[in-house]
Amino acid sequence: MSSDKVLKDLREAVLGCNPEAAARAAKAAVKEGVDPLAAIEKGLAPSIKEVGERFERMELYLPELMLAGEAMKSALKVLLPLIPKQKKVSKATVVIGTVQGDVHEIGKNIVASLLMANGFDVVDLGVDVKTQSFVEEAKRSSARIIGASALMSSTIGSQKDIIDYLSATGARKKHAVLIGGGPTTEDWRKEIGADGWGRTAVDGVRLAGKFSR
Amino acid sequence: MMAMVQILDVMEKALEGKPMSETDFQLRRFAPKVLEKVREHNVRYDPESPIHQFDSAADELFDAGLELLVDVGAYCTSTGRVISFTEEEVRGALKRAPSKLHFGEGVDRKSLVARKPEDVRPPWCLLGAGGGPCSSDRAFTTLVEGYAEIPETNAITTPAITRVGGMRIRPSSPLEILGAQRNAVLGREACNRVGRQGIPLMNTLATAESDIALAAALHPKFGLRQSDGYMICCMDPMKTDFARLNKVTSVLSLGGAIGMCFGTMLGGYAGSPEGTAVSNVAHHLMGILTYQASWLLPFPLHLRHVCSSTRDMLWVISATGQAVTRNTHLLTINLNYTAAGPTTPMCLYETTAAVTAAVVSGMSIESVGVATNRYEDRTTPVEPRISAEVGHAVAGMKRLDANNLAKALLKKYENRLKEPPLGKTLFECWDADRRRPTKEYTQVVKRYKRDMADLGLELKPETS
Repeated sequence: MSSDKVLKDLREAVLGCNPEAAARAAKAAVKEGVDPLAAIEKGLAPSIKEVGERFERMELYLPELMLAGEAMKSALKVLLPLIPKQKKVSKATVVIGTVQGDVHEIGKNIVASLLMANGFDVVDLGVDVKTQSFVEEAKRSSARIIGASALMSSTIGSQKDIIDYLSATGARKKHAVLIGGGPTTEDWRKEIGADGWGRTAVDGVRLAGKFSR
Repeated sequence: MMAMVQILDVMEKALEGKPMSETDFQLRRFAPKVLEKVREHNVRYDPESPIHQFDSAADELFDAGLELLVDVGAYCTSTGRVISFTEEEVRGALKRAPSKLHFGEGVDRKSLVARKPEDVRPPWCLLGAGGGPCSSDRAFTTLVEGYAEIPETNAITTPAITRVGGMRIRPSSPLEILGAQRNAVLGREACNRVGRQGIPLMNTLATAESDIALAAALHPKFGLRQSDGYMICCMDPMKTDFARLNKVTSVLSLGGAIGMCFGTMLGGYAGSPEGTAVSNVAHHLMGILTYQASWLLPFPLHLRHVCSSTRDMLWVISATGQAVTRNTHLLTINLNYTAAGPTTPMCLYETTAAVTAAVVSGMSIESVGVATNRYEDRTTPVEPRISAEVGHAVAGMKRLDANNLAKALLKKYENRLKEPPLGKTLFECWDADRRRPTKEYTQVVKRYKRDMADLGLELKPETS
């Protein structure tokens, strides 16, 4: 099997939203001696970026976006351990979740998938995440960015709690806190001192890019 | 006698149903099955018909939704199991569901009745903020007083209180409990102040996201009545948890009428407009079984624009409405969101389009979440009043005429949905002392009504 064919299989597995095929293609890449970094940069990255762009144009929808993200993850699980640590492949680590008391996950899932599509290492804590869990995980994974989603006017207060907790523990400057979700606004960002507010998922990715530098 | 599903049966199913991860339920069970049903039943969205036109296609859509629920079931995130229903159980619940419910007290006691497409009877008008955030007790009572004074108001949908004692509410905390109790007390008090003591609150309670906050506010001393409406949300797609089922159980124990609300997202797990419509129908049926709901409250939203006034959303509303009301006698009330805010003509055009889509398709209306319901105090009593006047004016309108109206309205705002004007906040355009909009806003409404007359829709003359 040629390396071109291997890269094509990787691309198609992600575009086809097929995690099993992506893992198979990644194993084939290793077997064929394809540089794992090249497999990521030339095979996986362009296709997941294309998925993200098609999602933005609403040519495909959330299930495809998330399954393509899963396909990407399955392939990375095979390839990443083979890359020397000094060769950095992700832009930054983002710890993301829906805040304490809030179980809405669609917006958070979209942002997480688009971040992954744009080369970020994403740690998704899920929904109803305790304030301390955001902070502890960001510390553990050396994440530059914390993304906190909230969908209800009664739950956005928990976004403030994350920032207050970081400040109180002397860790505020170590992490950029980005917020988003239904009732959040730029005024709310200013009020609580968050670093960025994303009205849309694309805003969230743009802000993550800004704060990862 | 058909099998009757009750709350203990729901719990049994939630405890003993097929175990599955939430991701698998959403991505590998729900999403592919939606695609399959769209294909099998040839469900098709035509951008030239934002108001759905064909009875046979509506009937196919209903079958697709029913099959989706039977094939997929609901999902309990607390147990990680599927809550399955047989077709016999679904049909039994449909048969037993009420076609008429009474809400309110005294002279304000009215009947919510099942409507049909092109029905000449006016829709039930559940008017207000749809749980939109408000910053203060003063804003809350100003709004609710204004809603209660709208002649067409059958019931009120209050805003949500966001602060108590100067502190931002935290979920499942004493602040949320106190906020929910204040929501009940102030809502009732505001109606009393304008002489509509008996009018029902039907989004009980917007401030109570958690089960404990709702239960704590149900004590009669806070003013809630059995004749109010008790709205309990599920999560998209077709998911619930113990907290929501706790709310159901608490309200059932009081004999309250539960309305399940559900916000299917166009572009979300159900995908396309066609998939969203199928999912929206299935959620209706899930509600009467899982939540024992006697009325339903869909609020489908566009993932990108977070409103219900896009071309494809109008189709989702109208197709769903026709599918459900042609094939059942369910009491279904569509809640619409606008992208634009108060004092903008766009906001009024948007709510006109969405209300028309719902009413000519047999639904009643909850109106309205203004400016995507995101901004504090960015709503006034004007927008729901206009929605209600439109709802009454288009009752009996033919779907073909409604389609022409919708297309004319879309021309006025469709290209502005990406960057909608947010308009003004409550006290910038509503005179609380005189209980009416400012002169500026009144002029906007007058111009809007002239535009609507030009499009063939005569609304009540603007008096002030």
